Amino acid sequence: MAPFWLAALVLACGVGLTLIGAVAAWAGANLVKRLAGVLIAFIGALLAMAALGAPAPFLAAGVALMFSHAGLGLALIVRLQESYGGVESTEIDAEDRKAEASERMP
Amino acid sequence: MSVLSLASQHAPLLMILAPILGAALAALPMPARASWACAVIAALASAYFAIDLGQRTLLGGAPLAHYGEGVALAPDGFSIFSAALTAGLGALTLLAAGALAKGLNRRTGPLAFALALCVAAGWLGALAARDWFGFVLGVETGWLAGVALAALRGERDRMALSAAMRMLSAGAAASALLLIGVALIGRAIGSWELGALEDARIVTPGLASAGVALTIAALALKAGVAPLHLWAPAAWGRAGALALLVIGVVGMVGALAALMRIGAHGLGAPAIGGGVAAGLAALGALSVLIGSVQAIGAATLPRLAAYAAAAQAGCILISLALGSQAGYAAALVQLLALAAAALALLAGAAAAGGAHMLAALDGLGRRAPLAGLAFTAGALGLMGAPLTIGFLGRWRMIEAAVGVGWWWAAVAAIAASLAGVFYGGRLIERVYFRRANTTIEAPPRWGFAFAPALVAAIAATLWGVEPSLLLDSAGAAASLMLGAAP
Repeated sequence: MAPFWLAALVLACGVGLTLIGAVAAWAGANLVKRLAGVLIAFIGALLAMAALGAPAPFLAAGVALMFSHAGLGLALIVRLQESYGGVESTEIDAEDRKAEASERMP
Repeated sequence: MSVLSLASQHAPLLMILAPILGAALAALPMPARASWACAVIAALASAYFAIDLGQRTLLGGAPLAHYGEGVALAPDGFSIFSAALTAGLGALTLLAAGALAKGLNRRTGPLAFALALCVAAGWLGALAARDWFGFVLGVETGWLAGVALAALRGERDRMALSAAMRMLSAGAAASALLLIGVALIGRAIGSWELGALEDARIVTPGLASAGVALTIAALALKAGVAPLHLWAPAAWGRAGALALLVIGVVGMVGALAALMRIGAHGLGAPAIGGGVAAGLAALGALSVLIGSVQAIGAATLPRLAAYAAAAQAGCILISLALGSQAGYAAALVQLLALAAAALALLAGAAAAGGAHMLAALDGLGRRAPLAGLAFTAGALGLMGAPLTIGFLGRWRMIEAAVGVGWWWAAVAAIAASLAGVFYGGRLIERVYFRRANTTIEAPPRWGFAFAPALVAAIAATLWGVEPSLLLDSAGAAASLMLGAAP
């Protein structure tokens, strides 16, 4: 059993990492950075779960979830790179907006 | 003992297993039509078991059972009502998808139907799960299958890829918060059983409150509740007709039902119930306000549907926050009303040739009468027009709110209906009172496969005329949730 202060420290680190990762996943300007944010958020969540004493199957499910998100995200980034010629989310959003505006023209 | 009665005893497991097995079969490389047939049979079997369970438990008074062997399942009142709804919606959307199979090739067709079944299976699993482990796995299966389904459209429309990426990154952040939330709850109550939250002696209410808040926020994001719905308009708008039907109807209702389940368990815990009620009410009020304003200004049909769904979801959350039997029953009736309206609008749009722009609806009542009728029923349901199920839900919500002195909640319900008159009225006006614009008119993609979904949506909307069966079911589900006999 880990001492209380160590568990609290790991929990704080985990929650902090999750928040940093979540912000990066939401607002990252580059899709690869967004995916990195996703991974950081999951690693933080796993740390927090371990500090809170989550059972082993739960932690294993968390790891599986992290890898499934990473796999799907990576596949999407490759397809986006092929389709848009880049992975900068600002450029992709600008192209989407342009295409949507042209669709609305009668 | 006959096979059917034996199957009925294991209905919660079979309603999840049927779509999972169906997905495995449908994913085999075969023509899209054959894959669709497998998917429909699996979805119908799942709907049969879910509706049978609901009928026996909510109307027949059969006791709730726990299924702890192998797969730990313990459906409660909300689970049983909303699982029947979700599985029924899954069957209807997959039937309607038959008309869309022509547009899918041999490679993507089977995958699309398999993913659609996985969405239904995932959310059904979350609804029936006994412990947090099963709940999280169900939520994530349903969500990730939805993301992959949205991305399948990327072969034809690259914007579907960016919408799927947005969905993935927002959903992943929510999933991480969900994991922490669940771990906080487990730590605070000393148990990983979902139902233990209500009975546990919570010595650290702060920890439990934080856990429930994170869990509810994560589920609200996945259900498209405002202001956490940033991914929804893009994903709904670009996902393609089949994915839009699955994500916008089955996924949204499944996520909302899962949120309601957790919210009700949180409300039932004396140490944290007050805080949970305040959080749900605040989130609901915000969702009504933001969703209504955005729906009034929406330029495309999927965006309008996404924003309108957020506004309706807000009313559901406020009803839930009341914490009473009447409030729970009102929330369930409104969930059904929202499902009927979403099915009517989205299946109607798919039947009308995938009409996305509002202008493409001009004159639809003459070109595709059944789709036009479905649009009208959906719009009237969103408004809460008299004799529709939407009206019944609002009325019950107002009654329940006034009963506990929440006058502001009654005002929020009326405001949501008034906003619904603006955006719903705009749809009806376009369908019946405008001449078709030939330059942007989408050709109706009529197929008999759309008929069940459209007729069911219209019939469900008009259920408000004779609602005794629905009210009995919702009342029984609410009573079970509060620990009383149905």
